[in-house]
Amino acid sequence: MANQLFTNVSIFDGSGKKPYSGEVLVQGNRIKAIARGGNKIRRDGVKVVDGEGATLMPGLVDCHSHLAYTDMPTLTAMGDLPPEENMLIAMRNAKTVLDHGITAAVSAASSKPRTDIVLRDEINSGRIPGPRFRAATPQFVSTGGPWDPRQMHMHHNAFEIVADGPIEFRQRVREMIREGVDIVKLAISGDGFADHAPEDTTTIAEEEIAAAAEVAHSRGIRLAAHARSDASIQASIKHGITFVHHATHASEKTLDMLEKAKDKHYVCPAVGIIYATLNEASDWGVDREWALAHRLDRELEIGCETMMKMFKRGIKVMPYGDYGVAWNPHGTDNRDLEHFVSLIGFTPAQTLMMATKWGGEAWAGDDPIELGEVKEGYLADLLLMDGDPLSDITLFQDQDNFLMIMKNGECHKAPRRRRVSRRRVAAAE
Amino acid sequence: MPNQLFTNVSIFDGSGKKAYSGEVLVQGNRIKKIARGGKKIRRNGAKVIDGDGATLMPGLVNCHAHLAYCDTATLFALGDIPPEENQLLAMHNAKTVFDYGITACVSAASSKPRTDIVLRNEIDAGRIPGPRLRAATPQFVTTGGPWDANQMHMEHGSFEIVADGPIEFRRKVREMIREGVDIVKLAISGDAFIEHTPEHSHTYSEDEIAAACEVAHSRGKRLAAHARADATIQACIRHGITFIHHAEHASTKTLDMLEKAKDKHYVCPAIGIIYATLHEGSDWGVDHDYAVAHRFDQTLEIGAATTMKMFKRGIKVMPYGDYGFAWNPHGTDNRDLEHFVNLIGFTPAQTLMMATKWGGQAWAGDDPVEIGEVKEGYLADLLLMDGNPIEDITMFQDTDNFLMIMKNGEYHKAPQRRRAAGRRQVAAAE
Repeated sequence: MANQLFTNVSIFDGSGKKPYSGEVLVQGNRIKAIARGGNKIRRDGVKVVDGEGATLMPGLVDCHSHLAYTDMPTLTAMGDLPPEENMLIAMRNAKTVLDHGITAAVSAASSKPRTDIVLRDEINSGRIPGPRFRAATPQFVSTGGPWDPRQMHMHHNAFEIVADGPIEFRQRVREMIREGVDIVKLAISGDGFADHAPEDTTTIAEEEIAAAAEVAHSRGIRLAAHARSDASIQASIKHGITFVHHATHASEKTLDMLEKAKDKHYVCPAVGIIYATLNEASDWGVDREWALAHRLDRELEIGCETMMKMFKRGIKVMPYGDYGVAWNPHGTDNRDLEHFVSLIGFTPAQTLMMATKWGGEAWAGDDPIELGEVKEGYLADLLLMDGDPLSDITLFQDQDNFLMIMKNGECHKAPRRRRVSRRRVAAAE
Repeated sequence: MPNQLFTNVSIFDGSGKKAYSGEVLVQGNRIKKIARGGKKIRRNGAKVIDGDGATLMPGLVNCHAHLAYCDTATLFALGDIPPEENQLLAMHNAKTVFDYGITACVSAASSKPRTDIVLRNEIDAGRIPGPRLRAATPQFVTTGGPWDANQMHMEHGSFEIVADGPIEFRRKVREMIREGVDIVKLAISGDAFIEHTPEHSHTYSEDEIAAACEVAHSRGKRLAAHARADATIQACIRHGITFIHHAEHASTKTLDMLEKAKDKHYVCPAIGIIYATLHEGSDWGVDHDYAVAHRFDQTLEIGAATTMKMFKRGIKVMPYGDYGFAWNPHGTDNRDLEHFVNLIGFTPAQTLMMATKWGGQAWAGDDPVEIGEVKEGYLADLLLMDGNPIEDITMFQDTDNFLMIMKNGEYHKAPQRRRAAGRRQVAAAE
């Protein structure tokens, strides 16, 4: 493909700073040159795309993704689905999120052992469309942990691997690494949805976490944890678990610990699922009364407060998480950006910085991969938005507002003109 | 979608008779009306597509499909592919064959238990493109049968289910019916590729065939068999196995038996894989010497002769089969049409009749499904070809020659104009 030059665009570069007007040249799969204000980039041999004042920004990065979850209403519904059908649904979810500008995703758990892995490989081969993808294991739980759906008289599956004792954790984590995962997920705390293991319980023992973490670290594989309870957050910090998800009930002491280690961790609270369960799940028999009885209002309120406290201490909190359930389905992920503004109190600029720059860093980890910013030399994962997302963070919830979606220098959605009513030439800054 | 009216087309209706000029109206998912010669169909708001003299014909039907096979070079290689990857590859294969005008397939075996089933369901749901598919089981073999890839010291999978004894056959066929298959496949004879069970070997006991067939028949499921050896063809006839694949070594007595039961069976010799193994397998270490040492030249000659003998007795032989291997990959299936002309001696018209009308009947079985002919009331599985396939049977080997591919009245490939050199007005009178 010829080099692409985007001119007449308002550039939100991911840093969180005010957008500036300019031009961006993409060569191959990288951002080759950026010109600010009235400066121009040489046009020889390039295809010029006139953005007409649209916003050019980095692709969105979801660090708490569940592409293999199937938008079903119960654990066992997901568990009942055979692997072949699950594979095809995961494929469709990958396209759905890419259609909404999510160009990279770190999985926070697969539904079945190989689904994420195979999805990542199929996307990387170019045979199907989807975001750059870090594949995770299913959620490791101990017997009786939040996602253990079994009954005494009958076997059930959900989206878990059950393990008890350090040796079993060691063996099952090794098995998943053999299969090719990027992320090992441990469901350390309980959850409001699980009556036998609520959110303030810690269901995996110290030696089991240590065993899983030891294997993962020795093989250069990062970890993620479902960690609502205070003790589970501390355990995550102690054992170097990179992605500390939810992290709702962090005490002051825990916040101190996390602040000290703020370069080593990322936190996705996943507020959207809590919000949706409180307000939008009645069609599936999960009404507000149920949600209140399961303390989800408290989970939402405390979670929001905790995220703001964390952010003020320099801890890297990020939007997205737990889209893939019937009342919080794939394709509505970008509501989380609005939730970060409306429910937590972040600015749109902060929110988008988390979803691009921080997301990109989190995705890359220690690999020499540069994404998440509009910066010379960075990989060309770019969006062209029909409007100013800093003025309207809800823009990302409508596919029509994505004028272009580019991943690795290739267009998933080829550039189109702004809608007539929005066309204007951005004044030179 | 509004009704689609194809005008200025040369209609090959699947019967094998000479093509005639005319018009065809598609309404919903069916062929509503056909007009011959100078007659016109009322346009009534239909979208009119001018075929510029292109050939309108039924979609092609492959009755020996292996969409779940992954173009691998060995049995082990296919068995090594895990189910998730296999499912995605099967999906890509379905699109590939559809791109070549194959609008319906009867599977002659899946690679793994559920791959065909899930592929069929996904296509039927409209979520992915592909032909109408009758889903098959993997090939049932007995221990030591041709596709048993196990070794004494180590297990291996290929694309089989191993069963021994009538009870095990009963249980495993029931299990596959529970999962939703349409076709139960039995690999009754051996095969020249396998040293310990060459093509003349008969690898089942009578009670095992009987057990599998009893379950299938009682549940309204049809069967297919890998049946090269004479005795195995006879077993197929005896037990009512609909699709008798390969069938090269049929004796005269067996031909008599099959002729008597000709309304009950279909035969796909799958000649293309034999040809490709003889001439085109070197890149995978399967050279001509290997092929001759394994009697592939004899198989080709005998197979071609047997297929012609069968046809002359009114037995329904059909092209296609065993595309899905490294040197005979998906996407080259339509070479089989050329092989039927060049290697066996059928006319293009006969070959295309087998691949459309007979294929459609075979696909339908006892179900009230009418496909495979350009006939009023039939389902609208149609192709528009940039030329006259009766004059050039190789036309189907290039996707550019397909101006339109329609299945169930919907476009997989929307109509395009003929390439400049080919355009002409079809004469009003025939």
